[in-house]
Amino acid sequence: MASPDQIAAQILSTKSLSVSPNWLNTFLSSGLAQRNVPLSALAKTAIFRLLASDIKESLSKHRSCVLPVDVYDPMVQERCLQGSIPVQVLDIEDIGTSLWSQIEAIERVERGEAIRGREIVRTIAVDEDPEAAESNPTNNGPVAGANASGSSGSGPHRLILQDAGGTVVTGVEIQRMDGVSVEKLAIGAKLLLRNPTVARGMVLLTPGCATVLGGKIETWDTPWRQGRKARLLEKTGGLEAE
Amino acid sequence: MARKILCVAEKPAIARAVATHLSGGSFQTHSIRGNQYVKNYEFNFNFGGAWGDCAVTVTSVVGHLTGLDFDRQYKGWQSCPPGSLFEAPVLEAVDKVSKCQQLSRSSADARNKDKLPIAENIRNQAKYAKALFIWTDCDREGEHIGSEVRNQAKAGNGRIEVKRAKFSNTERAHVRQAALAPIDLDEYQANAVAARIELDLRIGAAFTRLQTLQLQTVVAALKEKVISYGSCQFPTLGFVVDRYLRVKNFKPENFWGLKVIVNREGKKVNFLWKRVHLFDRAVVTMMLERCLVAKQAKVTKVDQKPKSKWRPLPLTTVDLQMMGSRFLRIDSQTIMKVAETLYTKGYISYPRTETDQFDKAIDLKKLVEKQYPDSSWGQYARELIDGKFKTPRWGRHNDKAHPPIHPVSWVSPSSLNANEKKVYEFVVRRFLACCSDDAEGQSSEVEIKYGDEFFHANGLIVLERNYLDVYVYDKWESSQQLPNFERDESFEPTEANIFEGKTTAPSYLTEPELIGLMDANGIGTDATMAEHIAKIKEREYVAVNTRGSGRSSVSELIPTRLGIALVEGYDNVVAGLPNSVSLSKPFLRKEMELRMLEICSGNKTRQEVVQQSLDMYREVFIHTQRRINMLKTACRKYLVETPES
Repeated sequence: MASPDQIAAQILSTKSLSVSPNWLNTFLSSGLAQRNVPLSALAKTAIFRLLASDIKESLSKHRSCVLPVDVYDPMVQERCLQGSIPVQVLDIEDIGTSLWSQIEAIERVERGEAIRGREIVRTIAVDEDPEAAESNPTNNGPVAGANASGSSGSGPHRLILQDAGGTVVTGVEIQRMDGVSVEKLAIGAKLLLRNPTVARGMVLLTPGCATVLGGKIETWDTPWRQGRKARLLEKTGGLEAE
Repeated sequence: MARKILCVAEKPAIARAVATHLSGGSFQTHSIRGNQYVKNYEFNFNFGGAWGDCAVTVTSVVGHLTGLDFDRQYKGWQSCPPGSLFEAPVLEAVDKVSKCQQLSRSSADARNKDKLPIAENIRNQAKYAKALFIWTDCDREGEHIGSEVRNQAKAGNGRIEVKRAKFSNTERAHVRQAALAPIDLDEYQANAVAARIELDLRIGAAFTRLQTLQLQTVVAALKEKVISYGSCQFPTLGFVVDRYLRVKNFKPENFWGLKVIVNREGKKVNFLWKRVHLFDRAVVTMMLERCLVAKQAKVTKVDQKPKSKWRPLPLTTVDLQMMGSRFLRIDSQTIMKVAETLYTKGYISYPRTETDQFDKAIDLKKLVEKQYPDSSWGQYARELIDGKFKTPRWGRHNDKAHPPIHPVSWVSPSSLNANEKKVYEFVVRRFLACCSDDAEGQSSEVEIKYGDEFFHANGLIVLERNYLDVYVYDKWESSQQLPNFERDESFEPTEANIFEGKTTAPSYLTEPELIGLMDANGIGTDATMAEHIAKIKEREYVAVNTRGSGRSSVSELIPTRLGIALVEGYDNVVAGLPNSVSLSKPFLRKEMELRMLEICSGNKTRQEVVQQSLDMYREVFIHTQRRINMLKTACRKYLVETPES
């Protein structure tokens, strides 16, 4: 039978995750390990459970795999962290799209228009020329292009991340990352940061220094999604009061 | 007895044009009893083939001959529960008074609405005729009118042979050609129209009675008002209300972006941020700092490539309406009326078409040559024929009935009124543009990486204006020339800054946008969209508001309180019901429209489609009856209580 050490080693080598011995023991005593399950299968199950767990309970809090506690300090212009640090997603926001157009998108889904696949509000281009959109290179583009529905909804995203020790930090998707979007990335999903750069307290997320491991914490994700529209509305309300 | 052929057109002016072209100008004109517009024109014409030389009578109807209505006992508003109109027997009869189902097709003149004398004229003329040639417009509606004409002719002469002429403009050679090669009436298309007429009648009457009777009791302002429902009108209203609410509910938000300025070769070049702008100031500030720390920017891309601006596609009705209301500042219904007049007078081709491909058989150069006499674009037309002519682009639509809208003959501007001049000029310029070459230019793009961020600058030189010279509605101008940049070169930008902005609300819906939405969502046909828009204005569901002044003024569509109340009411009626969609949405009508197409292709019968569509609407009707309080509440909310604002 596979020993806890063997499984921990397997998880470390495949996912670079240092599992907490307590959590592993609980996992192994859950009955699965009694039968003759091969090591690799057992490790896979463990990883699956890990990704659905709160890493504050399931991963090692060793100094080498957590964020510095002052990581969010905005006074620090730039620093590079060493090693592989697993984190879990507490929140994700698209900062390339206005809150209002995100609300409108949610409402379209609520009305069943997007679900049915019948695109109701499809304004056909008044000018059919496919090049017309870019054929007027003006030098004040950004301002001219700024209306509520102007963005494609593809980020960049701002994430709130948490390490095994409970330290919370903002992450910014500074280069496009696969799997990072409001729809695809679940709350509780795990990311592995490798030697990431932190600027003004924000972790810079790029495909080179962050890997999406996936997963989800159901009890966090469901209420987050249900409450998303209310939160967006609240924020736009706050803006108006300013 | 000499062989006689009876020709019946859709409008008196077409009858006259057909008679003029076939007779070569000499024909006898006889008035008919009871209608001052419809005339009978008599002459001889050789139809060739089996027909040979025949006596001809050309006459016309004035739009639809017959209308559909309920049996007498269902006509009174209180005569039956509105829901029974889904099944109540209906009768087709020759119009005695206004039915006005196709406003634009019948002259608005009230004296003209009595169709009995016209029907009688056809029956009488048919008695002496060997064959009937139908010359109604070649579209779905025309096919149905043709079937009405046939029914009258058959009533007068059971053995009369029935043919139809296929034509799309009233130019001489084209008309003569059509006379020599008649085809059969398309029963499928006529049936599709018959189905639509029945559905519009039943669904329209049922909902109109229900909501009028119920809402009249709620609000004093509605007491004397008929609150009409139409299955196209309501989705059209829905689009207007939807946009209005988006504007009203909108909340502005701040955004921030980066801009980089580079001074080089005495020029100041603005580089634009690839991310455009973001809604998080701290992130943007951090990104700017990383640019400044990096100091050096690197040129990642230098692109010089030829760029063309494509000449427009051949003109369709929807395009004419959209472009017309944009460039000519005439509303779509007026545009269609003017275009209809220009067509009837023989200046342009049939203005109701979805086709944006010119058939290979059309001699386009000949049509271009006809424009030589014009003082504004005659010279341009000459240059086209002298070598610059290009075959038009090939669009993706073909309704298999009509070519794209194009001029068929030249007319001196002095014989047109102001609106006719504008529309004719647009049609000609568009046509000449189609036969021209694309505009050619050279575009340059420089992309730099600065810190983690990318910025780009663009330049354009227009080298050959080509079609732009005649199509004055398109703008394509050269911009600032970019100074020289080398790929991989590093340099320090002169300036890098954060700019700040605010999102702005969308603007209220304009008519061209509304036509675009209707087109994309299958509401109405190119021929009827303008009428639906006019209808919701007439019903006071929507008002037109003009913003700005002079050349830059924009006409916006804004719903009235009643309009908002109806949409909100119907949305609430189906709120929470699975698989039910509000009448303010385009889905039901779109499905109905798709079924019409199935009749046209022969895949479904008229009866099947009528039943299926009625079932669909009956379900909503039942919900509406049950939850009529939703509608009443919405009306009280907007029409009785003073709104908060």
